Amino acid sequence: MEDDMREMTHGELAAMCTNLQKACSKQLRSEEAQLFGLLAAFYEEGREKQEGCGYQDLLDTINEDLASGYQRANAVASKNQDRGSLRALVWGEKVSKLLKSLLVRYEKQKNSLLDGTNVYVCEICGFVYVGEQPPAICPICKVPSFKIQAVQKEAI
Amino acid sequence: MHAARNIALCTKDCVCLFVCPTGATDTENGQIDFSKCLSGCRLCVDACPSHAIYLVSSNYPKPQKKETEVKDSLFDLAASKVKQESMAKALASESDDPVFRQLCKSVAMSNHIMAEDCYREAGYILPQSDAVRSLLKDLLAKEEGKADFPADAVRKLLEKL
Ligand code: SF4
Ligand code: SF4
Repeated sequence: MEDDMREMTHGELAAMCTNLQKACSKQLRSEEAQLFGLLAAFYEEGREKQEGCGYQDLLDTINEDLASGYQRANAVASKNQDRGSLRALVWGEKVSKLLKSLLVRYEKQKNSLLDGTNVYVCEICGFVYVGEQPPAICPICKVPSFKIQAVQKEAI
Repeated sequence: MHAARNIALCTKDCVCLFVCPTGATDTENGQIDFSKCLSGCRLCVDACPSHAIYLVSSNYPKPQKKETEVKDSLFDLAASKVKQESMAKALASESDDPVFRQLCKSVAMSNHIMAEDCYREAGYILPQSDAVRSLLKDLLAKEEGKADFPADAVRKLLEKL
């Protein structure tokens, strides 16, 4: 039993619940998936707001992951020979580097970086791609492109 | 264990319609009627020329054990990804520029997916596991009675999983 469960924020529980929702869908348990969806929506609603944070704060947090978070987690996962966790860390670190370079490029080029082109996110690993057409397979996790979703430009 | 169809692979050749002893494969929505499927039969799985049918288990083995230190470091990373997701959402909501919002929305989605993956590897991969059950029980104990908390959904999940 997991009696040492640590406190989780609403935002963290929202991600936990959508993860379980997806796992139920994969088993074709649509009712359970829908129930986890309700729970995820409750926690998403209560997500801790980061109002007033700046662009630089976001970049700083990514840099922290890249400077220490991944190193720490990798060391522990290697020591325990946990190949599944190492897999998640390899994907996550690559995606994080990519997000960092995207944010840095946006700072310089502003909207010209994304004007007249599309942005896609891989549903499986979080890979973000800027361009006309997404690649046929995700360069990071290797899923086929139907798992890579376009993100729309929306006016308010 | 019941049969399920990958609609993307099914060519509608209908061999599975001929072999199914209960008619479970013959439905208007393209999916197999699980309530009619006989556990352990698998006739349609072997007959399908397109390898479009597979078996979904009802019982899964216990997931691999996750060491506490691995779990902790993955929870730490997930917390950071969730924080970045919230930051990106805040930046998007405070801007009225569709292009900047698109960027922030993508960053938020990406971080959400990475956080989910951390939890998956931290021992929350299988909804039917002890870890998930005890999490659900904790949440119920803690949030029961709070406005809008879907307590019935959690109870139903504990019953069904
Ligand atoms: S046998 Fe396979 S390909 Fe043919 S209808 Fe059934 S599932 Fe589809
Ligand atoms: S496994 Fe048997 S009972 Fe179930 S759908 Fe296939 S043929 Fe029908």
